[in-house]
Amino acid sequence: MRRTQDAADVAVRDHLILSRMLADAESLCGTRDALLAGQYRFLRGRIAALVELTMPIDLEERNG
Amino acid sequence: MSARAQNTIEGGAEDVPFIDSARLARLAAASRAELEALQLHKVRRQLARLHASSGYYRRRMDAAGIAPDALASLDGFRARFPLSNKADFLADQTEHPPFGERLGIPREEVALVNMTGGTSGQGQEIYGRSQRDIHMQGYLHALPWFLAGLRPGDIAINCVPAGGLTTGGWGPGEGLRIAGATAFHVGGTLSTDAKIDLMLRVGEVNFIYASTNYLHTLTEAICRRGLEPKRAFPTLRTLFIAAEGYPLEWAERIETLWGCRLQEGYGSTQCAGFGGSTCADGAITPRGERGLMHLFEWETLFEVIDPATLDPVRSGETGELVVTNLSIEGSPVIRFRTGDSARFISHQDTGSGRAWNAIECGTIGRFDDMLKIRGNNVWPSAIDAAVFSFGEVGEYAGRVYTSAGGKTEIEVRIAFVEQAAQIDQAARDKLIEAIRRTIKERTNVWMTLVACDRSELPEFSYKARRWKDERQQGYRL
Repeated sequence: MRRTQDAADVAVRDHLILSRMLADAESLCGTRDALLAGQYRFLRGRIAALVELTMPIDLEERNG
Repeated sequence: MSARAQNTIEGGAEDVPFIDSARLARLAAASRAELEALQLHKVRRQLARLHASSGYYRRRMDAAGIAPDALASLDGFRARFPLSNKADFLADQTEHPPFGERLGIPREEVALVNMTGGTSGQGQEIYGRSQRDIHMQGYLHALPWFLAGLRPGDIAINCVPAGGLTTGGWGPGEGLRIAGATAFHVGGTLSTDAKIDLMLRVGEVNFIYASTNYLHTLTEAICRRGLEPKRAFPTLRTLFIAAEGYPLEWAERIETLWGCRLQEGYGSTQCAGFGGSTCADGAITPRGERGLMHLFEWETLFEVIDPATLDPVRSGETGELVVTNLSIEGSPVIRFRTGDSARFISHQDTGSGRAWNAIECGTIGRFDDMLKIRGNNVWPSAIDAAVFSFGEVGEYAGRVYTSAGGKTEIEVRIAFVEQAAQIDQAARDKLIEAIRRTIKERTNVWMTLVACDRSELPEFSYKARRWKDERQQGYRL
């Protein structure tokens, strides 16, 4: 039971970290450097997918 | 104990992925109600996004009177959201080239273009995937492979041709990178013999991904060299197949020859990768029955319907798979009729303890591949199952044609494996008759069998196309 709760806590923490990273990646995508712009979009896409893949399964956790 | 030590044909590896991943353990422990609540959340989110971004789906929602935010249940979604099929998508693409209005993301956000194979003869569906989708497609390949025992640092052999325009060409590469494996993408670039040479040089191979048909070709070629696969590749932990049906007897022989578990996945371009897999349970149960592919229902919503009535089939019945992408944003499919036939097993009947529905291993077929022969519905997968239940058969090809007298005839040309090719004429005739009777038992159709040399039949590097319907030619004047 304790192990399950620990795992859930870690999952929520990971999801929050990734959500913050996604916000930062969104900021990077505002760059005017055309060489970097595509690479930042690449990075944003990777992080966005991981935000999706770590979405809390529990309704309460999902609603924050 | 690690999966590395356990994934042998003796079994015992079934729980390992759920020990090695807390995320998967949570998904495995989720109740059906929790899983469906997550699905409903994702359906609403997907429909709201598409109502704003896709003319194709907005029109369908408006016509059905569906307001995404007001969608109260999955039953309501299944009852009211209109089905789409290949013809609908092709018409949309023709009207709004190249991606159609179903794209759902700005065209400049498309970072990968995938197309379906075009083997149906109707045309190729086109899919525009975002950067986010590319990772999702990788994940939807890595997920079943992780479940099957693939771990970071493993050496993997990908026998499916890489690159090009198909999802099957790009997803595996991305999936193996995400999984952290060292991958050799040998499909389509090396001959079968060159692949075997490379695998022998590499030595410590842990994982092989191939179409069902190509695993057969590879195994046949290794045995032809006088090698025993399990001795040549003792570190191999997982054989993972997809794309085609097979007989149980074949799967058992493959596991014996390679000395490891055979795992299977169901996937497609519409699923953006794999929609389900055997997890670590294997394609054959300990009782020698067909295993189950457990569906990843938190990423893809599956329905299995009767193609005539469109009603959901009951557990144990065969129907058409209908899929809805819950996590894909570029060219998502919503209630898409795949044309794939599968035997549905409700989560209550899987015996896995998980709330995931399942489909039966080894029997995925195509409704549109069906041949109508002398009043019988005959699926090539059923003939594959009959022919390859004989270990003496190396490959075969069939054709249906109209004879000079206007009669429908079926010819099956069979090439035997090297050892069987050397048996005397009487024994060979007896074997051919046994195969003929087995085909009749499974299809209700008598066919004419002819033995030929292996070199006269093609080698298939991905999906096998063993059947030709030449009946129309017989009626040409």
